[in-house]
Amino acid sequence: MSIDNQDLENSELDSQVNLDGQAKQIAGLLDAHANRLSMRTLKQLENGRERAVKLHTQQISGVNANHDGTLSGIFSWAEHHRIASTGLILGAIIAGFVIIQSFSHKESSDAFLLSAELPPEAFVDRGFEPFLNDGQAKL
Amino acid sequence: MASSQELSDFLRDVERRAFKQTVYAVRDDHAALDIVQDAMLKLAEKYADKPVAEYPMLFQRILQNTMRDYWRRQKVRNLWTTLLSSFGAGKDGEEDHDPLDSIDVEDESDNPIVQLERSQTILIIEKALEKLPSRQREAFILRYWEDMDVAETAEMMGCSQGSVKTHCSRAVHTLAAILEKQGLGSRAISKFGVET
Repeated sequence: MSIDNQDLENSELDSQVNLDGQAKQIAGLLDAHANRLSMRTLKQLENGRERAVKLHTQQISGVNANHDGTLSGIFSWAEHHRIASTGLILGAIIAGFVIIQSFSHKESSDAFLLSAELPPEAFVDRGFEPFLNDGQAKL
Repeated sequence: MASSQELSDFLRDVERRAFKQTVYAVRDDHAALDIVQDAMLKLAEKYADKPVAEYPMLFQRILQNTMRDYWRRQKVRNLWTTLLSSFGAGKDGEEDHDPLDSIDVEDESDNPIVQLERSQTILIIEKALEKLPSRQREAFILRYWEDMDVAETAEMMGCSQGSVKTHCSRAVHTLAAILEKQGLGSRAISKFGVET
């Protein structure tokens, strides 16, 4: 029985080895074929490689050469336009919020003065507020 | 940190395989070139500080992700193309043929019969590879063509080692069956002088 099991294991191992061998043959053939691309494709791959190497050199040196011939550091607003535009939008929203708040505060203070029981002149009197505070303190 | 020369050597070593691998996946030479170039630039830009030993895994991962991005874009584009197809018929297969595309370089074999047989065999294998499910094709290419071990392939594909073995086994069985059907067993392939 154990001999049968061993035979089975051996045959499975053999088939796995055959499978791997066949796979490597196919991969070898594909590899050989991949080395025979058209001149145009090879040229384009070379261009891509050269661009990548140029970019790598810039990354290492920490300085980028811009299209207009100027130099910039690793962080450039021109390259990070998404961050710049998001920042601008956020800034505009915050500015708008502050302006609205300031206007609404003015409106509410005007409404308070007009709707109060005391005449508006009472709020102009500089001694009125200390008088009120003294009254509250006494109470 | 890898030097620019090391990066250049690495890319020179992998670019052809990467291109063919991408062609099998996206079935479009122009798109494959764009994807490989994009992957090269991303590697150089994002991982300039990594040692060269990590480049094979990183590059494969970038390549696979770039292919996925391409498929996603294609899906959206195809949707719009289908919707707008009634406005005008396309003219497929009418592009001008460029003789540069058909020039083979580094063809050492002098015997035209062997050349023909080889190119026919490769054509059959390429068609069979294109027909494989994407996960099986990915596993086969990484494991046998990129020569990664099972653990590396599993890490790259984000699955278990058992799944990699299953994908590889199924892929090889399918390819072998297709080749046998065409009368191209392992003996027929070995006569092309391929190193295993």
